[in-house]
Amino acid sequence: MSAAEGAAPVAVPAPALVPPAAAARGPAAVAAAAAVPPAGPRHLSVIHETVYHYDTPVEVAHHSAWLRPRDTELQQVSSWTLTIAPEPDAPVQESQDAFGNWRHGFSHARVHDTLAVTSRFQVRLLPPPPGITSPTTDSPPWREVARALRYRARVQQPDAVEFVLGSEFAPQHAELAEFAAPCLTDQPDRPLLAAAHDLMARVYTHMAYKPNATDVATDALQALRQAQGVCQDFAHLMIGALRSHGLAARYVSGYLLTQPPPGQPRLVGADASHAWVAVWCPLHGWVALDPTNNIPVGQDHVTLAWGRDYADVAPLRGVIRGGGSAPPEVGVTVAPID
Amino acid sequence: MQSSLLPDDDMPGAGALVAALTHRGTPGHFDEWRGLETAAVGAEAAATVPPPSPPVPHWAQFFTGLGTDGWLDLPARLARVQQHVREDGATYNVYAQQGQDSRPWPLELLPAILTPEDWAKIEAGVQQRARLMEATMADLYGPQTLLRDALLPASLVFAHPQYLRPVHGVAPAGGTRLHIAAFDLARTPGGGFRLLAQRLQAPSGLGYLLENRIIIARQFHDQFTDLHVQRLAGTFRGLLDGLLRASPAGERSRIVLLTPGPLNETYFEQVFLARYLGITLVEGSDLTVRDHRLYLKTLHGLERVHVVLRRVDDEFLDPLELRADSALGVPGLLQALRAGNVVLANAPGAGVLESPGLAAFWPAVSRRLLQEELLLPAATSWWCGEAAVWAAQRDKLADFVVAPTFPDSRFTPRVAGQLSVAERAALAERIDVDPAAYTLQTRLRPGESPVWADGQLHPRAAVMRVFAIADGTGGWRVLPGAMTRVAGRGGLETHRLGADGSLHSAAGGSHDPWLSMQHGSASADTWVIASGAVDTSTLLPRPLSADELQGWHRSVTSRAAENLFWLGRYTERAENNVRLARVALEALPEASAPVLQLLGDLARFHGLVGRNVPTLAKAPRVFERALVHGLRMAVPGAGQAQTTSVAHSLRSLRQCAQALRERLSPEHWKLIHEVDDHFEQHLAAVLEAGEGHAPAPDVLGVLARAATHLAAITGAQTDRMTRDDGWRLLSVGRQIERLDMLAHALALGFQHRVHEADDGFALLLGLFDSVITYRAQFQARREVLPLLHLLVLDTDNPRSLAWVARTMRDRLRKLARHDAPWAMAVTEALPQPDTWQLAELGETDADGCHTALITALQGCSTAARLLSDEIGRRLFVHVTSPDRRVWQ
Repeated sequence: MSAAEGAAPVAVPAPALVPPAAAARGPAAVAAAAAVPPAGPRHLSVIHETVYHYDTPVEVAHHSAWLRPRDTELQQVSSWTLTIAPEPDAPVQESQDAFGNWRHGFSHARVHDTLAVTSRFQVRLLPPPPGITSPTTDSPPWREVARALRYRARVQQPDAVEFVLGSEFAPQHAELAEFAAPCLTDQPDRPLLAAAHDLMARVYTHMAYKPNATDVATDALQALRQAQGVCQDFAHLMIGALRSHGLAARYVSGYLLTQPPPGQPRLVGADASHAWVAVWCPLHGWVALDPTNNIPVGQDHVTLAWGRDYADVAPLRGVIRGGGSAPPEVGVTVAPID
Repeated sequence: MQSSLLPDDDMPGAGALVAALTHRGTPGHFDEWRGLETAAVGAEAAATVPPPSPPVPHWAQFFTGLGTDGWLDLPARLARVQQHVREDGATYNVYAQQGQDSRPWPLELLPAILTPEDWAKIEAGVQQRARLMEATMADLYGPQTLLRDALLPASLVFAHPQYLRPVHGVAPAGGTRLHIAAFDLARTPGGGFRLLAQRLQAPSGLGYLLENRIIIARQFHDQFTDLHVQRLAGTFRGLLDGLLRASPAGERSRIVLLTPGPLNETYFEQVFLARYLGITLVEGSDLTVRDHRLYLKTLHGLERVHVVLRRVDDEFLDPLELRADSALGVPGLLQALRAGNVVLANAPGAGVLESPGLAAFWPAVSRRLLQEELLLPAATSWWCGEAAVWAAQRDKLADFVVAPTFPDSRFTPRVAGQLSVAERAALAERIDVDPAAYTLQTRLRPGESPVWADGQLHPRAAVMRVFAIADGTGGWRVLPGAMTRVAGRGGLETHRLGADGSLHSAAGGSHDPWLSMQHGSASADTWVIASGAVDTSTLLPRPLSADELQGWHRSVTSRAAENLFWLGRYTERAENNVRLARVALEALPEASAPVLQLLGDLARFHGLVGRNVPTLAKAPRVFERALVHGLRMAVPGAGQAQTTSVAHSLRSLRQCAQALRERLSPEHWKLIHEVDDHFEQHLAAVLEAGEGHAPAPDVLGVLARAATHLAAITGAQTDRMTRDDGWRLLSVGRQIERLDMLAHALALGFQHRVHEADDGFALLLGLFDSVITYRAQFQARREVLPLLHLLVLDTDNPRSLAWVARTMRDRLRKLARHDAPWAMAVTEALPQPDTWQLAELGETDADGCHTALITALQGCSTAARLLSDEIGRRLFVHVTSPDRRVWQ
């Protein structure tokens, strides 16, 4: 679940808007559900709705959205629609960002006091290749991977280099390196994936899942120090720790299928958007791990977009004139299609 | 003065004698005067210094042509140069954040001169560099083959805060990303040229370069002609042509210059450049994006903009997609850029190419992208992000200047050789922690150019900024000239030429330490001698057709409109306050009771004294003191009553004018500046001399001077401004202020029945500034009807309410002609004193009170205030609340 929901302008403490049902259920229920992976492809439908009820009318608004999920080797998106009410002044501008994500730009120059943005789609998810989700999978020693990512004149470099460098929310820092030391520094010859799984567990153990303890301006270092937060903070901490050891890690935004408590119906809009980590391995490419739930990413995870950190792929951001204070109301529904 | 050493009679030749008055250069540096490297003088050879070699031919020609008279005239010419700089208001803001401390632009008398041979080298080298930068940008924001193949280090580029991911994949309209590229060069000891740095985002200096040229060419008109110096206008024309070619609207494009605002360090040259090029100067808040298109907010609605020549740095251009805390940009601008609806010159994203860390990589990049060897070498530098490089250079740190690789590092460049051993070791350890953040540069010995000072010529280290201009079809033209910077007496610190991070981020756009002229350095005009004929083309654009002229008008941005309106109001308000203070101080000693009452009420109403000051009748001395002290600006925390008196109005006037500088003539601006400064100074002097008990006559003297100044300002506004809609708005603002003030004062006067007393009658005329007119027409009569005729109904008297109301109405209708129904509705609701009947106004009721008159006058005041609000709502609608960022 993302700290993004409920945080209006940057640096303002997040009001309590994460749906209580989701908060109360916590990550444990998710982990339990993911323990039994299905074998074949899985079909899910997702609705992600964001509504602003402004205190005072908005005169002009410009927005960018990262709401259209991308196709990957394991996921195929279909029937994606974006509904914006009121209708924007001009057709929505669709483009791809520097990471290949879909970006949409739209604007309103007529006075309005409500804005609703809804993304709907269906997705077909394949199971990850066998073995890649396991910590015992063969992978090069992590220190060799870090060395390969360092610049040497005229030696071709993998694209992953960009994700070694620190970013706003997931910087390189001595404290973050220190946090990951038991998993990495102390065992230089350890295979990368084993070390990454170990670090994921360490993040999971260190951090208490606590909605509203952080906001969209919290970075990895703050998350480490306060030892609590939401999925975004878990992800930033793990990414920052990996980068501080010269490894490449990226931030993935998406959705997670959660299981309603036994005997209860699935609540519409009760879910929230989610975020996790992908670490780069020369052998297996990007391997996705979910530190909030301490599980490898599987068929319950729907990938939306990726970047260096949250700032690259915030689902919706805008510059508005007028509006007063208006925390967004966000509802996400992920449901299996029979 | 040393120039007296040159007596007229035994003058063998000016050139030879000037040569004798020329100081020897610094050994190891190229001497521009003699055209060779200054040799080292050994210890034993010191006694037999060889005779200095003669000056190069162009300098010899320069001074021979100047002659002895010219030489002797140099002090006068220097004074003229300095006067021009002052008169043009050429400044740079030293502390851009505070915006207060602006300094005169330092300009050397003598130009730097380049031969055709020198220029050919520079021109070819700079053109090639510009092509290389354009090609590199296309690759970095496109396929990124340079990164993939490690010709540029990905770990430097991706870590650079000015590598802008949001513009990746954006194809620029017209295909050109860079339109202006600036290159800083220095002469090597051997006479070649080295590249020191490049500015590619929003290079500054073009405006100063022009100002330098205009002033210096005038001082040496004959030399300028005789030496066949190349002109600049053709290249500036080329800049505009290139922009138009790239624009989606072609020749019909509107071009604006986007400035970070008056607080920016180089605001002067932005104003200057916009004027010279004839394009509108705008701030971010003047622009808006609608439907992925860019518009200018004007008095007459939104007008499309196609090309933005911008001086706002990359990261500040769009708060939606770039720096969210930027108030200098335009939300949605990148959407308009992506849609191909606007040309940004330069396109965002070039900041990363400015990094000194990349210097060593360019030769290989040139071979790859251009299949060419670089013609203009750069000073040797090493990026420490490559482990092998740092390991190899670590022990030689003392040979280098250490510069930050990235612009917002908290690290300013330093000369390692000047540090102590311990400091240097600490620096090496600092670099160990994050080597990629540092770049080692070899120290330079820039060539020395002659500077005239105290009757002699001194060689001073010089570096120059050369500008390449895109023609919009892939070609480049190098502006034949340069912004040369010469050292002060203390020498030129070339290691400071890197970007200064802390100031950069604080200023919020276009901070350029190179132009800051630290340590006493100054700028110099730079002459390039033509090898063939001089290009004498001018900046004149293609002739306008009759059809185009039909609809021709100068756009008034909404922001300028609002400032013009308030400029009119504050000018009038300042005049009114000065007049009120004067009549009050003059009347006080022996005023009648009703006059005291009226003055007390008016002074309080207009904020000339605080609300708690006792009435005039009770304590005239206390009141007078409060009035005199209230003229000054209230000092915060001094326990002084908050007044909105004369100094306050003058300061507000100046602030309005500051925001409008590009529309005001230099004299107009100077007057406004002066009246504020002088009033404060003179009043302070008077108050200090009287130890706080300033005699009224002295204060009246200060007020009289301010009144004269303000009359000149009013004159400049009435007679020296183009009467476009902006001016009409200024006039409407003035009439609103005047109508409100006069109608209110007259109504109050009749309420207090001051017209019945002799001094009261005179006071009313004084407040309307109509004493002389009245006397000329009605001599010594003291009757109500002539008084009312002159002050209310007489449409020949520019202070009568009828004239004021009618002028206000007519100008408002004309300026709002694009919105005629609104203009009619608003103006029809206004009172029309020109239709009032004098007989009715003169009637009194049973108590002898002019109730009808007073009611009508109060109606005028109210209407004036309502009109001001209505204008704000209707015409300045775009200027209201600021933008706000929201994230999910």
